[in-house]
Amino acid sequence: MTSALRTQGLAQQVARQRWRILRRLRPSRLVLNGIIGLIALFWMLPTISLAIISFRPAGLFNISGWWTVLTAPTQLTLKNYQDLLFSTPHSVIPTGFAAGSILDSLVTTAAITIPATVLVTAISSLAAYSLVFGRWRGRTVVFLGIVALLVVPLQVAIIPVAQLYASFKSLTGITVFGTLPGVVIFHVAFGLPFGIFLMRNFYTGIPKDLLEAGRIDGAGEWTLFRRVVIPLGLPAAASLAIFQFIWVWNDLLVGLVFLGGNAHHTLTLFLYGQTRTLAADYWVISAGAMISVIVPLAIFFAFQRYFVRGVLAGAVK
Amino acid sequence: MARVALEDLTKRYAGGNLAVDKLNLDVADGEFVCLVGPSGCGKTTALRMIAGLEDITSGWVRIGDKVVNLLPPRDRDIALVFQSYALYPHMSVFDNMGFGLQLRKTPKAQIDKAVRNAARILDLEAFLDRKPGQLSGGQRQRVALGRAIVREPAAFLMDEPLSNLDAKLRVQTRAEIARLHQRLEATMIYVTHDQVEAMTMADRIAVINDGVLQQVGTPKELYEQPRNHFVAGFIGSPSMNFVDLAVQLGNTSRLAGDGVEVRLDDTQAALLRDRGLETVTVGFRPEHLEIGKPEGPGLRVSASIDVVEFLGNDELIHAVSGGRDLVAVVEAGGSLQVGDSIFLSASPRHVYLFEPDHGLSLASR
Repeated sequence: MTSALRTQGLAQQVARQRWRILRRLRPSRLVLNGIIGLIALFWMLPTISLAIISFRPAGLFNISGWWTVLTAPTQLTLKNYQDLLFSTPHSVIPTGFAAGSILDSLVTTAAITIPATVLVTAISSLAAYSLVFGRWRGRTVVFLGIVALLVVPLQVAIIPVAQLYASFKSLTGITVFGTLPGVVIFHVAFGLPFGIFLMRNFYTGIPKDLLEAGRIDGAGEWTLFRRVVIPLGLPAAASLAIFQFIWVWNDLLVGLVFLGGNAHHTLTLFLYGQTRTLAADYWVISAGAMISVIVPLAIFFAFQRYFVRGVLAGAVK
Repeated sequence: MARVALEDLTKRYAGGNLAVDKLNLDVADGEFVCLVGPSGCGKTTALRMIAGLEDITSGWVRIGDKVVNLLPPRDRDIALVFQSYALYPHMSVFDNMGFGLQLRKTPKAQIDKAVRNAARILDLEAFLDRKPGQLSGGQRQRVALGRAIVREPAAFLMDEPLSNLDAKLRVQTRAEIARLHQRLEATMIYVTHDQVEAMTMADRIAVINDGVLQQVGTPKELYEQPRNHFVAGFIGSPSMNFVDLAVQLGNTSRLAGDGVEVRLDDTQAALLRDRGLETVTVGFRPEHLEIGKPEGPGLRVSASIDVVEFLGNDELIHAVSGGRDLVAVVEAGGSLQVGDSIFLSASPRHVYLFEPDHGLSLASR
């Protein structure tokens, strides 16, 4: 009897404590979530408005704001996308896959971005392997030199590199300036310092024991790289690939200069071409911008699980 | 299986630091040898030189009949179990164990057979599809052992494989490794800082300190006939007590100091006389001390009890005698209290004498 009473008393104490904890947490949680939601909304507002504008008829742009969609959702239309992609009898924009059209720009941008991303990721991984696991003198100095290159702004190199391309042509007769490979080379060169920096710092976290175990198991350097280091470095390689992809995809300046008179334009160049001095078809530009955003978004969602997953769990200890 | 021989094996690091100094050791085919010593003594460096992970400054490593100094690890036909296990986290247990065979282009069926066989021995059959991250510490440790077994190497090298396990699992795995050694009849070189591991598993133990080999012998030899002060203090738990005593009035059969008195037997007295020493370091093991003050030759200490640790069957007594801390292991059940004055004694055959300056045992010459 007494022990039952005692148990009851203890249960009451615990219940009271639990209630106190709940009361303490609840309001602050709500406030916190509210603030986070507001910040998220604030950050997404430009993208949301861009998306809505791209679905509103051209004629409404100068008459009412995009938020009127909230009260009159029937105004939404796919017309801007149709104009951009297929037929525009009254427009000057080329359509289909004709040079200078948006689909052609999409292909051009992909033709620059994909090799630039693959090359940077591959070369950075190789360089990082050598910098971390290689046994040669001066690794640290070389790495510091590469890190120092990170501070060089891309803009200062444009003219020297353009000159380099020109003299390369006069020496060998091979045209680089104005071609897609010329743009790719430039992007790769400027992507490497960051790529090597990122990969090296990740590889330093791979226990040396793993490579030694591999050496004893009979692996040579190439096998170690391919079978041990690359799989473990996948999260870093994925983040690097995403960064590099988005940078190159969104680049305007390098494409503007180094594509020169090329009939094919990058997406950013295409969008840039639609802005004019006095007026611009903002509804068309926003539709184009939405199209150009879709690819990097898809890439991000395809690879984002590599950000989250900790592949190294269970390696040692 | 093969014999492993080290001849004048030396490692000097770029900074001039001498990690291993002229190590000579002959491990017979099928023998289990422990390299034991305090951390930083060079035992792991020696093992890594055998494995080929560390450059050899001078000397030779022989595996079988071949000098392997310049061979890469993969051509030495050895397996190494790492302290950290070093399992490939992205591979399944099966692939972790089969990776070595895979790289040697062994046929698939043969790999499968070898891995399953090792998994059966180590009780890992249920985990072959798991990743190391999904295993407990003990299971990971067994996978690391399995990776070594599968390869059927000429020699197994183990670098403190038990130090990441908890105490209970360590004792279990210790027995498992000993069984494995009997079953495979393999040459094993095992590095540890834990003398208990060495004593329980090894056929022979090599004690290393400061990169220098102190003594090689069976566990019994090291325990009963330590060659010097260091080995005497390192082997045995709790460690041996040491006191410096002066020779009394030219009579080499009597030694005395604060609270400690020793009457040597004739052989020991003769040794001391031959050496002509004024003082000598006397060592005696805690487990050889008894309470009481018998007549005749031997060691007698008067001390006061500082701490009593109850261990179940035994009691560990920390006592102070003439400002020195001594440890004794006595049967539990006595009525010893902190502060009590007691006499401890040991028979002459349990008294060790060492030269006070370089610690060499008087009996070792």
